[in-house]
Amino acid sequence: MIRLESVSKVFKGDVTALRDASAEIQRGEFVFLVGPSGSGKSTFIRLLNREEVADSGRIMVAGKDLGSLSSWRVPYLRRNIGCIFQDYKLLSKKTVAENVAFGLEVIGRPRPVIKRQVPAILELVGLSRKADRTPDELSGGEQQRVSIARAFVNRPLILLADEPTGNLDPATSVGIMRLLDRINRSGTTVVMATHDRSVVDTMRRRVIELDRGVIVRDESRGVYD
Amino acid sequence: MIYRLWYFIRETVVSLWRNLSLTLAAILTVGISLSLVGTSLLVREGADRATAQFQEGVEFIVFMNADHTPDQDTAIRQVLDTSPAIGGYSYVDKLAAYEEFQTLFVDKPELIESVTPDVMPPSYRIVPADPDAANVAELARQFSSQPGVREVATATDAIRQIEDFSTRVSQVLLVAAVVLVAVSAMLILNTVFTAIGARREEIEVMKLVGATNWFVRIPFMLEGMIHGLIGAALAIPSLFIVENQVLSFFQESDVVPLFRGFAVPDGFVWDTSLWLLLLGGAVGMFGSAVAVTRYLDV
Repeated sequence: MIRLESVSKVFKGDVTALRDASAEIQRGEFVFLVGPSGSGKSTFIRLLNREEVADSGRIMVAGKDLGSLSSWRVPYLRRNIGCIFQDYKLLSKKTVAENVAFGLEVIGRPRPVIKRQVPAILELVGLSRKADRTPDELSGGEQQRVSIARAFVNRPLILLADEPTGNLDPATSVGIMRLLDRINRSGTTVVMATHDRSVVDTMRRRVIELDRGVIVRDESRGVYD
Repeated sequence: MIYRLWYFIRETVVSLWRNLSLTLAAILTVGISLSLVGTSLLVREGADRATAQFQEGVEFIVFMNADHTPDQDTAIRQVLDTSPAIGGYSYVDKLAAYEEFQTLFVDKPELIESVTPDVMPPSYRIVPADPDAANVAELARQFSSQPGVREVATATDAIRQIEDFSTRVSQVLLVAAVVLVAVSAMLILNTVFTAIGARREEIEVMKLVGATNWFVRIPFMLEGMIHGLIGAALAIPSLFIVENQVLSFFQESDVVPLFRGFAVPDGFVWDTSLWLLLLGGAVGMFGSAVAVTRYLDV
């Protein structure tokens, strides 16, 4: 599903974000990316989503070579990839249901499909009763659930999560991780960058550890350190 | 497809509304500048028609009697061909005169019906070697005494002055219009840029979930185009005002009888309106296209 071959990425001012990184992630895997701030976790995620382009090496995602993917095809790649973030990136003027519907609307899904899928996904994330609230009326955990609903409503092959529990208390984080686990069990590959030791240690899934842009550990059923 | 169309319309309207003051400024600027473009075109067209007979250096016209003899014609030609005072001339026969009459009075069909090519006087349009007024007057006096000549019309100073005046007016209007059209394009660019800024978060999410570039761009381009089209629509009534008030003032003025021809054909105002709409839409598209390509790329 995802393959990195000797991938390097250097930002302006010689900041090495990723150096000679190779990894292969199978369909349906759940992978944690761990490491200190600035170790290259976010760059790893952004490269998979083609928000960044690698300086060298090869990245294959869902059968596409991202290096040779022309820019007009990038949106079609992203329709196979859901993204969630620490800051949720919800639209504050839209309701919960509208936020989720927006994700389908802007890729041209017909209204009847949207009307069917949005309530179903809100049911899945447990927010059916808050469909008409706006994000600022929700708790952090609930906002992250909306963001997950938006990322997953299109049934992507891959879900990329960049510190999704970074702003949440431990109890709420557990709820979010249960949801991600459920999504993963439905066959979606999940790649999650995190600082959250307890989350990683509880889940016991594959762990890829980065340090200053280098993959220093890659173990299945790993722990935080 | 219909859902996309609905989405584009909704997003465009919301954006126009959210940005109301800038939107109005952009629309009004387009309206004013296109009014000037249109007025300039009308004045130019009117002046061209009014002075059609006196263009390209023609200073006086010798009208022959409709029933003049070939001998009389030959005599005139001989003078024209040999006299050093004549710089050049052209001959307008009955049919050509009739056609010109039809063009000049296209909006007065009853006048056209009242004549036939047969009664139209053929004429010589003469460019003198020396266009000095006194010289032209002297030449005109000589020709008017020739047999077969019905009358000699000279381009008087008044005609020249009004011609100069209308040329200058239309040029000044055109320069002002070009500047204002550029200003409106920039204003539209800024309005669309502001609209893009107001929706940064939405655009970020759209790109994240895989909206195509065109899907993101189209509402903004439509917004710019609507600025241009509404502005042009506002300019169209001003064309009719110019036609009904300004041009008809010249037509009814007795300063120079020839200026009865200071009119544009009926279709001309509509044609110009269509051009203004196209121009408005194009200016809007251009301004917004620059904005989206500069500020909206992946």
